[in-house]
Amino acid sequence: MLTRFNSILIFKIVRSCVPFLILGSVIFFSCEEAKYELDNPNDPENMDLDPPALFFHPPEINTTMDSSFSVELYGLKLKPAAAAHLDVRYDWGSVQIDSVVADTFFQSENDPVQIVIDEQGILDIFIYLLPDTESDENEGGTWPLATIYMHPVSTGESELLFGENTRLRDANNDSVRIKSFGSGFINVE
Amino acid sequence: MMSIIRGIIIIHLVSLCLAAEITKSVSLKTGNQLAVLEFEGWAVSEPLTEFITEEFRETVRDLKIFQVQDRGITNQLKIFKPRKKDYWACWSEECAIDLGRHLGVNYVIAGNIQKKGDDEFLIKGRLFSVDMETLLNEFAMSSSGITDSLLLEMKKMAYNVSGLPVPDTLSVGTDMSQVATTEDIKRKRQWIQLPPIPSKIKALMMSTALPGSGQIWAERKYPGYGFMGTEATLGIAAFIAYYQYDKAWGGFQETYIAYQSETDPHELMELRPQIIQYAADSRKYNALIKNIRSVGLSIWAVNMVHAYLVAPNDDFFDGEYFFDLEYKPDVNQVQFNINF
Repeated sequence: MLTRFNSILIFKIVRSCVPFLILGSVIFFSCEEAKYELDNPNDPENMDLDPPALFFHPPEINTTMDSSFSVELYGLKLKPAAAAHLDVRYDWGSVQIDSVVADTFFQSENDPVQIVIDEQGILDIFIYLLPDTESDENEGGTWPLATIYMHPVSTGESELLFGENTRLRDANNDSVRIKSFGSGFINVE
Repeated sequence: MMSIIRGIIIIHLVSLCLAAEITKSVSLKTGNQLAVLEFEGWAVSEPLTEFITEEFRETVRDLKIFQVQDRGITNQLKIFKPRKKDYWACWSEECAIDLGRHLGVNYVIAGNIQKKGDDEFLIKGRLFSVDMETLLNEFAMSSSGITDSLLLEMKKMAYNVSGLPVPDTLSVGTDMSQVATTEDIKRKRQWIQLPPIPSKIKALMMSTALPGSGQIWAERKYPGYGFMGTEATLGIAAFIAYYQYDKAWGGFQETYIAYQSETDPHELMELRPQIIQYAADSRKYNALIKNIRSVGLSIWAVNMVHAYLVAPNDDFFDGEYFFDLEYKPDVNQVQFNINF
């Protein structure tokens, strides 16, 4: 014996679901595959650095005579540290240092102590983390150590380099290993 | 000599008359056996069809035109010679004559009762001659109202089958406009009726639109609900997978756009693994959706074939038109036949 279609309750229920089924079938055929390229030039992974490392950010600066600029001294995947001596070499005939500010890496509940010595193209920055009740050293990672503000004095191209005295120390005054150093490039027009 | 010839002629005439008499009496004695097969009910309960069929038998029997076979004997065929089909329908000449021979009758009546609306029934009947191997007459009547009206129509049909005029007593109090002959019904429906769709094709179409519905329509409820449930489960699984995919895809797009515009190395270092994770998640859920879709489509296809196989054959299409898929248990194969 055959049963009438309309007399079956479930068909009445299912009939209301038909738009969702159609929508669902459309959805099933419209899924995209994720395609991506992680090629951002500011991504430290694209800078050919072997972590832990120090580098300048941005690595390339294009500026003009009438404008000042800043560059961050960045640490990549650094181990926990409590102090740093950053030896920065620059072309003192091309740019002049305005100021240096300690950045996030050594920031605790207290502001870090910093000493800056700028002498004919050699900038020595000493930064010390001031311990608080929680810790006497930071957790390491990828953070900016300091920001250097400068302005050009002549047109031309010059380089920013880390000197051989650059080093980091932990709370026990042990050396924190840095495997590679990046360089910076300044182009003044 | 002439007297001898006259005597021979008289003997021949007498024997011829006697022979005619004997033939007639044999014809009367054996030529009016009638079996009324149980009417097939479409959206009509089985007890009701049984009751109405029996009333029809009784009415035909009372009219004394046919010797109507008892219900018990007719239904014995169900037990001793069960048919492959799961329903008791016999609408074609071949089927009816075959059954008639098994039952040892001269005539067979087969029919069905279809419920057309809430209170509307369409009764169809066919009178087959087993001896002549042909369809003698076809009857159709529509009835609206309660079961009493249906019974009345069956009685009218009994008169029609017996070749007797319907008495006025059966017409009193009924709306004669509802009584329609086959020709009337055909004429009325010529404007609105689409070409008949074979039940197998109908079941196939239903199961194509909604898995399992063709099987349920063909009274194969368990496989029908099985297919429907399986597809519904896969659908839900696909929706869950899609929800997860959508979440991962949204996260991927958001982080990837941020990555492309970001300049801070620390933020970029944070975004990089997120992008990789979101992309991996979106690929994973997309693959899951594709797998579910493949499984779902396979089951959908199986469901369509199954619906076609389990749906009943229509006599007006069976073996005469279109194609036919039939399972042959003796060779354990499904055979595909095309007939024009």
